Formats: sequence, C-alpha cells, structure tokens
Amino acid sequence: MKRIVIIVNAIIMAAILVFVVLYSQFESKDTYSRQIEHFQNITVTMEHVTENYLEGEQRICDVWARYINNNPMTMEEAHEFICSSRVLENTSAHLVYRDTLTGLSTRPKQGAADDYTVTYQRIDLLEDVSWINEIGESINVSRAYTNPMNGEQSLAFCDRVTLKDPDSSAPVEAILLRVIPVLELEQKWVFPQEEFANAELSMIDSKGDYILKGYSFKNSNFFEFYKSYNPSDPASSKALFDKITSATGSLSMVNSHGEECILAYTPLTDSVGWTLLGFVPAKDLSGGIENWLLVGTVSAGLLILFLFDLLYMLNLNKRLQVTAKEAENANKAKTDFLSAMSHDIRTPMNAIIGLTTIAENNLGDVASTGESIRKIRLAGNHLLTLINDILDISKVESGKLKLTPLTFSIEETVENLINISQPMVKEKNIDFTFWINGMEKEYLHTDQLRLNQIYINILSNAVKYTEPGGSVNVELREEESAVPGCIQLTYVVADTGIGMSPEYMATMYQPFSRQIDSRVNKIQGTGLGLAITKQMVELLGGTIECQSEEGKGTTFTVVLDIPAADRQRDNLRLEPVDVLVVDDDESTLTTAADTLEALGASAQQARSGAEAISMIEQKHLSGRDYDVVIVDWKMSGTDGIETIRRISSNAEWKIPFLLISAYDWSDIEDKAKEAGATGFIRKPFFRSTLYEKINDLTGNNSDSREPEDDYSDLQGLHILIAEDNDINWEIISAMLGMFGITTDRAENGRVCVDMINSAAEGSYEMIFMDVQMPEMNGLDATRAIRSSENPWVSSIPIVAMTADAFSENVAECLNAGMNGHIAKPVDIKLVIKEIRRIKERREQS
Amino acid sequence: MKKALCILLALLMLLGLTACGSEEKKEEAAVEGYQPALDSATKCKITVAGGYDNFEALETEFERFNAYYPNVELTFTKVDDYNNMIGTVLDGNDAPDIYVNYSWMYGRDQYKSSIDHAENLADPALNLDLSCIRSNIILNTDDGTLPMVPVFSNTYGMLVNNDLFEKEGLSVPTTYQELVEVCKAFREKGYENPLMGFTNAETTSLFTLTIYPFFCGTVAKDEEAVKKLNALDPSAGEYMRPSLEKMAQFLSEGCVNPDACAKIENNYDAVILRFFEGDVPMMTCSGDTVSGTKKRESRSEAFIANPFDYTFVPVPMSDEGAYFLDMPNLQFSVNKDSRNLDMANEFMRFLITSRELNEMAQNKGLMSPTKDLSFNSMYAAFGVIPESRVFSPEEIGLTDDAVIQLRQAVYGVGTGAMTIDEAIAGFGTYTR
Repeated sequence: MKRIVIIVNAIIMAAILVFVVLYSQFESKDTYSRQIEHFQNITVTMEHVTENYLEGEQRICDVWARYINNNPMTMEEAHEFICSSRVLENTSAHLVYRDTLTGLSTRPKQGAADDYTVTYQRIDLLEDVSWINEIGESINVSRAYTNPMNGEQSLAFCDRVTLKDPDSSAPVEAILLRVIPVLELEQKWVFPQEEFANAELSMIDSKGDYILKGYSFKNSNFFEFYKSYNPSDPASSKALFDKITSATGSLSMVNSHGEECILAYTPLTDSVGWTLLGFVPAKDLSGGIENWLLVGTVSAGLLILFLFDLLYMLNLNKRLQVTAKEAENANKAKTDFLSAMSHDIRTPMNAIIGLTTIAENNLGDVASTGESIRKIRLAGNHLLTLINDILDISKVESGKLKLTPLTFSIEETVENLINISQPMVKEKNIDFTFWINGMEKEYLHTDQLRLNQIYINILSNAVKYTEPGGSVNVELREEESAVPGCIQLTYVVADTGIGMSPEYMATMYQPFSRQIDSRVNKIQGTGLGLAITKQMVELLGGTIECQSEEGKGTTFTVVLDIPAADRQRDNLRLEPVDVLVVDDDESTLTTAADTLEALGASAQQARSGAEAISMIEQKHLSGRDYDVVIVDWKMSGTDGIETIRRISSNAEWKIPFLLISAYDWSDIEDKAKEAGATGFIRKPFFRSTLYEKINDLTGNNSDSREPEDDYSDLQGLHILIAEDNDINWEIISAMLGMFGITTDRAENGRVCVDMINSAAEGSYEMIFMDVQMPEMNGLDATRAIRSSENPWVSSIPIVAMTADAFSENVAECLNAGMNGHIAKPVDIKLVIKEIRRIKERREQS
Repeated sequence: MKKALCILLALLMLLGLTACGSEEKKEEAAVEGYQPALDSATKCKITVAGGYDNFEALETEFERFNAYYPNVELTFTKVDDYNNMIGTVLDGNDAPDIYVNYSWMYGRDQYKSSIDHAENLADPALNLDLSCIRSNIILNTDDGTLPMVPVFSNTYGMLVNNDLFEKEGLSVPTTYQELVEVCKAFREKGYENPLMGFTNAETTSLFTLTIYPFFCGTVAKDEEAVKKLNALDPSAGEYMRPSLEKMAQFLSEGCVNPDACAKIENNYDAVILRFFEGDVPMMTCSGDTVSGTKKRESRSEAFIANPFDYTFVPVPMSDEGAYFLDMPNLQFSVNKDSRNLDMANEFMRFLITSRELNEMAQNKGLMSPTKDLSFNSMYAAFGVIPESRVFSPEEIGLTDDAVIQLRQAVYGVGTGAMTIDEAIAGFGTYTR
C-alpha cells in the first residue's frame, strides 16, 4: 500500500514536472520567437540608423563632388577647396586620378608634415570603380582598407569627379574619397546596450565580404565564416547567400565558440547589394532564466514536499509500527492477563468449591467441616485480595486511581502492619524486628489506604519469601523533607529471603510477573503486588528502590514525602514518673529512654534482667520504687517473663510491669500475667503508645477500653440494613446477630427512606446502606434521609456497605452524606469496629 | 526496498534539477606546459595585423586563449599592401600589438620600422619556449636579438595522389632515379602528365620548386660560394651550373609535359584544382598552396565525385634522396610600443608551444615550425629527412637577391628561353 502511495506520489510529481517543463518550454519558445522578431526589428532599425548615417556622410561627399564637377578645377584647386571645407578632425579626403591611382590627401602623410601625395596603386580598391555610382544615386562606401596616409583602417565614401588637366585643361577622371577611420565608426555604430548587451553588427557587401566587421564575425567573408562553423553544401550555401542578400529575416547559426547565435539580416537600401547583419547569442534571447527559475522552484518545492512527505511517512510508519507493536504487546498482555486471571481465580475457586463439597459430605464431622470452612475462608480471602489487586492495577493503568487524603495516625498504620504480618511471622518462625526512628509527627495527611497497601505489600512479600528461620527487619524513619509542610518517611524492609535474579528485577514491576523459582511457585500471590506498589508509590510522588541478591535476601526502600497533619498530639506529658526500661538491645533502650524523657518521665536503663533486679532493689532501698518497669520479653539470659517473675516474687516491690514484644502476645499472655506482668507493649515505641500505656498503669488515663473480645456493648443494638440482595441480607443479618445486634431490612432505598421516616426516634442505632439498589439507590436514599426535617432521622449514622470499593466510590458515599464505607465482601471485624466507632462518636456527641 | 525506492526517486529528481542547470563549462585547459601568468580577469584588446584576408586558424587560437583570459578581445586585422604599409601602421594611431614580420626585411631601410618596432623575443624574461621550434628557422639578427618568431614554415615539394600510386602499384619516389622511373611507369600506364606544376611565371614555378632545394644542397657548405653569390659576383654564376644541368636533365627525361603545365593559370587555385582532377600523380607546389587544398576540395566537382588521398612530399632531385628546404613562412613580432605589452607577450607565450603551433598549422594547412612534423600526415614525409639534407636559405646565408638570380636562371632554362650558359652568364643581372 505504502509503495503504491509513493509510486502515485512520484507519478503525480513527475507529471507536474513534465507539465511545468513543457509549459515552460512552450513559453520559452514563444518568448524566444518574440525576442528573435524583436531583434530582427532592432536590426532593421539599426539599418535605418546606419543608412541615415551613411547617407549623411555620402551627402557631404556628394556636395563636394558636385561643386568640383560644376566648377572645373585642377587637382590642386579641388584639393584646396576640400581643405577649406570644414572637415572633422579624424576624417580626411583623398583625390585620386583614376589612371595613375595617385593624388592628394587633405591630411599629410604620417611623419611627413608637408607631403600630401597619396597613392592607391598597391591597395586593391580603386582598380575597378564600377561600384561607385553617379553622384546622389547611391551610397558609395568602400570596404575597410588601410589608409595609405596613416595606416589606419578606414572606410571611404566615394564619388567620381572630373578634374581638369593643369596643362591642357582637358577633363581628367578622378575619385573623391571621404575617408573615415573604422575606429571612429565602431565607437558610434553599436547596438543599443540596454536591449542586447552582446549583440554585434556587421555590414557585408554583395559578395559577403565585410565592410564593417563585428568582433564575433570571423574570416574576411561572412559566408566563409558561416561555412567554417556550420555544416553546409554548395546548394545550401547558395540558398543562404540568396536569402541573406535579398531580404530581411533571421536564422540560427553556430559561432566560432560553438554557441548557437541568431543572425538577423536586412538589406541596406540605397546601396549596392549590401546587407546589415545583427548577431546575438541565442541564450541572450531565450529569456529562459525565469522559466528555469519556475521549473527549479517547482522542482525544489516538489522535492521538498516529497522529502517532507517521505520523512513524515517514514515517521508515521515508525510510529505505527511502534503502536502496532504496543497493541500486539497489549493484546498479548491482555491474553496473558486473562490467562493469569483465569488461573489465579480458578485456583482459590477450586479450593472453595472442592472444600464446600467436602464439607457438605462431612456435615457430621465437626472437626473436618470446621477445617474445610477455615480453608474455604482462606481461599475466599485470597480471592478477595486477588480481585482487589486486579481492580487496583486496572485503575492504576487506566489512570483512574485517585488519592483520597485523610488524616491518620502512623502509629495505627504500623500497628496494623505488625498485626497483619504477625500470623505468618509466627508460623514461619521469622526473626522480625520493626524499628521506628525519629518519628516526631504521628498524624499524617495522605491516602492512608494506599500507604497501607504499599507498606503491606512490601512487608507481606518479605515475610512470604523468607524461609522459616530467616529474618525480616523493618525500619520506618522520619526525616526532614525538602517539600514544605511534609516529612520524609523512609520505609525499609530487609529480609533474608530467597532474593531475586537480575533478570526478574528488570521486570518485577510488571503485572503478573513472578520469579520462576520452585520456591516461589509454591507461594500464593497474584503477581500484581509489586506492580501496584510501584504505581502507588509514584502516585504518591515517592520512590521505590530494591536491592536483592539471589539466596541472600532483598531490601526494599520506599521514600515518600507526606504532609504532616495540622493536628498533632504535641502536648503529651506524663506525670513525673520513674521508669526503668530493661532490654538487651541498646537501640531499643535508647529509643525508649529518649521517648520517655520527651514525655517528661525519668527513664533509667537496664541491659539485662539481673541488672534490672539490682537497680529495682537499689531504688527500693533508696526509699522509692520505680513507677513502671518496661521489660523486653526476648532477652538473652534471663528473659522478660522470668525477670518479671523474679521481681514480682519480692512482695515488697509493688511495681507494674509492661512486657515488650514485637509479636502478638496472646501466646504468652497467660504465662506473663502469671509471672506478674501488668500489661503489654509492642515495639516499636510510639510516644503516644508509651504515654497511654504508662498512664493506664499509673491510673492517670481516663480512657478505658473494652476488651477486644467483649462485645457486650453491642448487645441490643438495632440497625436498619438497606440491601436488595437476599443472600447478602442474610449474611450480614446473621453475622451481626452473632454479636447480639438485631436488624431490619429495607429492600431498596425507597423502602429504607420510608422505614426510617416512619420509625420511632431512637429505634435504629444506624443504617447500613447498600448503594446499587432498584427503585432508589443508596446515595439518593442517603440524600433523602439527610434532607429529612426530623433531626433524628437526618442525623442518623449511615454507613455504606457496598461492592463499589473504589476510593471514588467511597468519596461519593461520603459526599452523599454517609458516615463511613465498608466494602463487600464484608469483614465482620471491620463492621464491628465501624459500629463501635459510630457508637462512640454518638455517645461523645 | 521501499526506502531504496524512495531514495532513488529523490536522487532522480535531484538529478533532474541538476540537469535543468546551466551546462556552461569552462573549456578544459588545452595547453601542456602553459600556465597563465597574468590576472585571468584582465580586460583589454589585442590586435594582430597581417596581410592575410583570412586568418581563421589564428582566430581559433584566440578562442583557445580566451579560455584563460575570457575578457581579452583579440582581433586580426588585414593591412592592405602589407609589406609597404606595416611601417606606417606601426607608427600610426592604429598600431597593432602583434604583427606579421618577415626576416627578409632585415637590413632594408624601407622596412626598418617593422624591425625597429619589434620586441626582442629572445629576452629570457619573456619566457617563450623557443626550443619547440626548429632551430634553423629561428633567425636571430647579427646583434643576437630575435625580432620575430616563425609561426608557420614553408617548403617546396609536390602533392602526391596516393590513391593513383596505390592503384598502379607504385611507390612514392624518394630518389631522383625513382622519380624518373615512376614518371616513366605512369606514362606507360597512360598518364599523360605524371608530374605537373605551374610554369606561367617564375614565382613558385615548377622549375624553382624542384631545383631550388637541390641548389641549396650544392652550396650549403661552401661559404665562399655563398659569399660570391650574395655579392652577385658574375663568376658565381657557375655555382648554378649543376642545378641548371639537373633541371635540363630532368626536363629531358620526359617527366613533365610543358604544354599541359602551361595551361595552369596560377600557382594557387589552378594548381590545386588541376591536381584535384585526379589524373595527375604528382603536382609541384609550395607549402602555401598546400594550405589551400582543404578548402578547395568542396569547390572541385571532380574531387567531390572521386575523392582521393593525397600528401605533400619533397621532390627527390638527388640520387641520394630529397632535400628539405626549410623556410619560415609567417613570423610574428610583438610591437614593443604596444599599449597592452604584457598581454601581447602572454599571448605569444601561449602560442609559442608545440601544441598551439601545431594546432594552428593544422588548421591553416601549413607546415608547422615545430620539431615534430609527424602529427600531420600531409607533411610527415618532411619529418623523416635526415638533418644533413635539411637546409634553410637564411641559415645558409643566401640573400634574396642571390636566390632571385637562381630562380630567374632556372625559369629561363626551364622554359627554354635561355641556354644554361646564357643563364649562367646572366647571373647578377636578374631582378624580381
């Protein structure tokens, strides 16, 4: 196709060029013809000018001759008469006897001031005077000859005169010559320069011999000159001779340079067969420059156009190729995506369906059914993660992902991180540490959900790909940011896992890329985590770096500039308390001591259990006990529980203990409490954590938290649920029922609005509102409720419970007037947490 | 493939555009060894004066010179009654920059001006390559100056119809004996006029052309003879005897038909046109006449109808072989008062090279003055004659007057107007 376009273009251009050239040639020929005609006319004009001049000169000669003839005089008398006439400076007159060809000149011989004698005996000019007609009949001009008096090339206007013999007074025939130097004539006798700068004139006699000769005319005879440079034969020579000597016209001939010239010819009237010749190079008449300029311009224009089009097409081609390649890749990616999706969705679905079948078949076996249901839940969770990831990557790639900044506590984020990672850390017996460093700002303002995703993805990967017995070290540090109002949060996760190959690292941020490794393949994952993480980091304006070595481990570093929230708990101050921190890790000791000092506590450090006991003993002996002792669980030598036990065994020391653990302490809770631990604190230490924990122990904290497994506060709550789907209604109703919460159902938004409007005040604690419902959707229903005139109705908490899980959906819900958002499938823990949050807020208000 | 096609099309268009441009090209430098010494943009007029009606060969040289100096306008001007007028012309307002000169003008008062105006061309400062010219026709004056250099040379010989020789199976004669035998053979084959020539006047008559080289050979190395001949000493007439006897012998051999020769009206056109009739194997003439043959080929209906190959060879009047009478023909002088003397000298420096002199001689149809005659087949036969048989009258030292004695005596004997003794007795009394 492209070739056809190029060929068609070339043909069109060639056709245009041919047309322009032909048109130009036609124009050139036309111009050329007109110019030749013009040149011929100028030559004819020059003939008139020449004739006038010659006539003028001849007339002078005629006047002299008539006078001499009318007044018979001797040679001397005639000579004297002419000398007395006014003669131009460079001209002269000769009187020559026809018989002797000698006579007198009006000017003396060169070099002999008194010698006026002249002879034409050796000049072949006057032997035959038949060309000299009677006075007044014609112009009788001689050929150019050498003036015998001064050697100058000259022309002579002649007349026959009759003198009288001085002795016998008998008539003697003589010739009167008015002699004019050729040089004189040449200066006057030129073509008008402005018309034809290179044109020349010549005058030939009836034989073709030059009378006057232009520079470009060669030979002494024009026809010989013509024959020398132009092919001719006797017949054509004769025709040429006849043509030139008989009429006015023009012809083309070649000059001595081999150049084409135009010869214009016209007979000189009143002369004896003389012809005036105008000669000009043909190129001077062609006037082709403009035409060639036109052709050149069109050619250049077409060429430029052609080259431009060519380059454009090549560029377009290249881009099309790239686009085609991209499309091909995209198509392949789509195929790969669908293939991966199919595989990754089918895998947990297989588990769910298979295990459901097993459970159905083993309904009597409680243990087996329980195990199946547990595995179904795991598979379901995995499926949910996969779907969330797919949705995320899809949004990221389509550019639809938008950030929803919120103010949140980084402490909660860290806690959440630890909570999420702990089950696997414990399962794989991984040495897990989490350090925070320089965390001054606890409340930040960004999209917490995305930040969590980033941190969780990296950490969960580290834990997933670390072999049992390995270690995962996390560091979160706050540094000064170059961005005003921001802190720089650096999150480093280093593991001793399987590491990555350089080849994989090159593509690890691409969706569905997984390292080909037998160890990896047995690990479940969507292959989307890193791709999402990378996109999220970039969306938040941060950087992600990775260093990895196969078999040795991987370190991910994420650096983000995050705006600090306006609200900070800067006024955290403890009552004056003495705190002993016991840990064998120096940095933990330093961090804890610094934090405590910052909170206004007096912190002392013990690096082992024994040292702690000694210090407590000494403190006690000094008359005061520590107000709080914070002991690390895992210490070399005497561990934290044993240390607490030994200290608690001394009944005199009534000291509250906080046991430090990076892990979930549920496993050691009983043992620790038995040993005397009063509470637990998790590393890393946030200022607010220490503040609250110490206040709890010292009795200064007014907050009292419900135990996490105590749901008595939920008993009797009555919630309206707007849900069109029967199964979903059944699930949420049943799940809430497990916590003693009763529910009413509204089948759609309209029903929901009607129900709440007709309900008695305080009959519902809150509303869980599905969004996509028939008749009236959740958003419209919320707006309708919020617009109610009943203050109780209009202020009732509404939380979205919907499968529309994108952040913009969340924002939409909040904008419609909802108070929260829970995505389906629902996590009952989150639901309970949300109910409590709503409840607390209502109680506070 | 597509890219190559596009590039090819683009190149074709470019080529097309290039073709639209001017085709003017500077004429390739044609002269070996010649390097312009003046500013090529120099603008001036150079006039060369001579007696020729036409000098197209020189005009061609003008064109060639213009390749180096395009702004120099060179013209050739014919001066009427050249020999007598050149002095006046040189003294006048219309004096040429370069002019034709003749070595015979040396020492003659009436031509003094022509010699006096001439620049010394032997001046090393002019840097003329005189070595390319045969030394025996470069004629320095007694004081060592060189007022003129030959641009053509002349000699005497005979035109040979090579086709007739080939047709009759004969070879061009190189000795007197062969000449006689060839004439006899042609006669036997029905050719009435094996050898012809102009006989109606003394100037370049058959008799002079055949015997003058022979005569030079007899006196070339005899200084006393030359001295006596130049002094027109009556006793010197005897030096002509061998030549006159040779002439008489030649005529008696039956090689020449006097009646047929008498019908040739002049020594130029008529000689050439008679030769072009195609029935004359050999026609005596001078190099000047040879130069007119080319142009007259188209004027001869006989030659047009039956063209043939011809060359110019020396007439072998000696048993030992032919003599080559080497004479300067046209010589150029530079007017030392020229208003454009530098450019006039530059043109001479351009012209006086083997290449340009040969080129001009070829165009003119005359013999080149250079050492290489092989380039022109017309004159190549003279190039192979050994140096011992090459003479220049000027080099021998014979004056014009002495030569006139011989020419008149030979003509008298040849035409039968005189006996050999009468001719010898008349030595010193003959005029032009």
